[in-house]
Amino acid sequence: MSAFIESFDIVATYRKFLKDDPAMTMPVAAIEALVVLLSKTSLSTASELIDILAKAVQELKGGVKNSISLSAGCDMFQRFVLRNIQEYGDWEACKQHLVTNGGLFLKRAKESRFKIAELGLSFIRDDDTILIHSHSRAVTELLLLAARRHVRFSVFVTESRPTGEGRVTAKTLREHGIPVRVIADGAVGYVIQKVDKVFVGAEGVAESGGIINRIGTYQIAVLAKDANKPVYVVVESHKFVRLFPLSPFDIPDDNPASTTFSTDPDLPDEDYDEVLHNSPLLDFTSDNLITALITDIGVLTSNGVSEELIKMWY
Amino acid sequence: MSSSSAHTGRDKEKDLNTHIESFLAQMKRRQIKGPHDVALATAQLLLRVVSAARWTHIDQLITQIKVVGKRLQSAQPRELTCGNIVRRVLALIREEAEDTDDSESGDGASNSLLITSMFSLLQTDFDKESSRESSPGEKKDLKPYIIEGIQELIDELRNSSESIAGKSVEMIHENETILTATPNSNTVLKFLLRAAQKRKFTVLIAEVFPNDIEMAHRFAMKLSEAGIEATVITDAMVYSIMGRVGKVILGTCAVLANGGLLATAGSEMICQCANAHRTPVVVCTGIYKLSPMYPFDTESLVEVGDTGKVLNFEEGNLVEKVDVVNPLFDYVPPELVDIYITNLGGFSPSFMYRLVLDNYRQEDVKL
Repeated sequence: MSAFIESFDIVATYRKFLKDDPAMTMPVAAIEALVVLLSKTSLSTASELIDILAKAVQELKGGVKNSISLSAGCDMFQRFVLRNIQEYGDWEACKQHLVTNGGLFLKRAKESRFKIAELGLSFIRDDDTILIHSHSRAVTELLLLAARRHVRFSVFVTESRPTGEGRVTAKTLREHGIPVRVIADGAVGYVIQKVDKVFVGAEGVAESGGIINRIGTYQIAVLAKDANKPVYVVVESHKFVRLFPLSPFDIPDDNPASTTFSTDPDLPDEDYDEVLHNSPLLDFTSDNLITALITDIGVLTSNGVSEELIKMWY
Repeated sequence: MSSSSAHTGRDKEKDLNTHIESFLAQMKRRQIKGPHDVALATAQLLLRVVSAARWTHIDQLITQIKVVGKRLQSAQPRELTCGNIVRRVLALIREEAEDTDDSESGDGASNSLLITSMFSLLQTDFDKESSRESSPGEKKDLKPYIIEGIQELIDELRNSSESIAGKSVEMIHENETILTATPNSNTVLKFLLRAAQKRKFTVLIAEVFPNDIEMAHRFAMKLSEAGIEATVITDAMVYSIMGRVGKVILGTCAVLANGGLLATAGSEMICQCANAHRTPVVVCTGIYKLSPMYPFDTESLVEVGDTGKVLNFEEGNLVEKVDVVNPLFDYVPPELVDIYITNLGGFSPSFMYRLVLDNYRQEDVKL
């Protein structure tokens, strides 16, 4: 039994899922990988199953950087399995049920993005100038839907260093006829007066209603608050995570080097490399800076998030 | 025998249609207006609709009500209470249907499994369908319960301002100065009159030029008849007088899902002034005014009225060259309000989402 588990590389399976389908989100890929693990094991007791799952989740979390939404997906799956074991008693049937519906999870998760787009459509009006940050599939989906419905708006995208993902978003939006301007991350304060609203995605939504997203989101939110512009977070509900960060340093830091200093004048390629290799990739934006969250369960205020989490976790 | 019952069936339907049509006409002509009257009339109409309706599966009734509700809401699109009542009735029907489902299937466990949004990702359609099919039993049985539920709703509507007034004595201190900017609100009037029975205080009434000036004067008269010192002030005075005001008490036309308000024009300015002076803002409203809608675009929610009241059409010279607007409502964001006094109790604006969850169903938000 344990020999099989060792030979089953959950992290590789997870990465393969992500690679094969670019529209898949991290938590869904994690759930898919765990379901594959389940289908390949033949255990006889429920506690063995829970054990195997826990080990696999541990491995996944350790093997993947920026694993917050991944943790959300894994925790949710574990909770679901536990609940089903208690409810049905017959976990064999439950396992069968989970495995055969592997494709259904993916389908539903994709559909949730469309649902969100439909819900968020009313937020975008003619003549709006929108500011978005980096690359978020949920936000992109929303903007594309608005364009398809003939709403006329223009978009500022931040370049979003160090990953430069903003350019990817700009290209996608321009292909669909949306007027876009890519701006430097530092120029947000300059353009914020011309912007009507800000849309950002999220890697994870904390219990307080704050969000964890690509670095730079916090800055944009603070500037938007000062300029009195609404900040809307477009996120699927399966990214709600049981974290309660009180400061930006409370989220697991993927790059501890980012807050150390160096006196070495000969650091390689000082201009860009130093930033690229030492920059944190995520930051935390607290709930008082966010106007509303557009999710597939409706438009929520920050308090609504904790309600949803309580429902799931009692 | 059967032909006469079919005859009366058709008659009933015609009767019902006439009622619906006349209600729609009255709504469009603004013969019924104001949140309380609209809510009451909508509830009574829905009572008729449910009494006359026939269904084999509860979903059919729900669809019928949704269809009627959509027509009613579009008669006065900015009067949100109409849609609220329709959604309350729908939530009621769904609740009754689920109660019977639970008791029939006996196995409460699988039905009460919290089908939250996230778990719905992991649950199959099969589960959902099976819980639906388990209710081919008693349909007709639900009608009296639903009608009873709607009657209770009508009673709640009639008594809401009473329950709110009951809390007034705790809210108003002796010798306090109160400012109110919504003289068209019956709820606030009752609130203040009830407090006057036990306390002595002063009320300042903002004039709300140009739409509610007469109402402001009548409000002041009614208050002074009850022995309260009432003063009508101009809108411009509000900021300067705010330093001496102990509380601001407002009524509202609608409360939105994020805790924001849709109140008489001028309310937002007054709330901003109150905020600047750290004066508490209290809003008195019945739960029936709480709408599950989120204010996507605050401008489209505001109804615009007769510009002739602001700038007389006789001043031809000016009227040609100047753009005049007379908004009837204001959107007040939730941060500016301190507490909502409702017939269910006092709540903070950040708690409104919970009341929405309790009273409405997500499936019904879009009619």
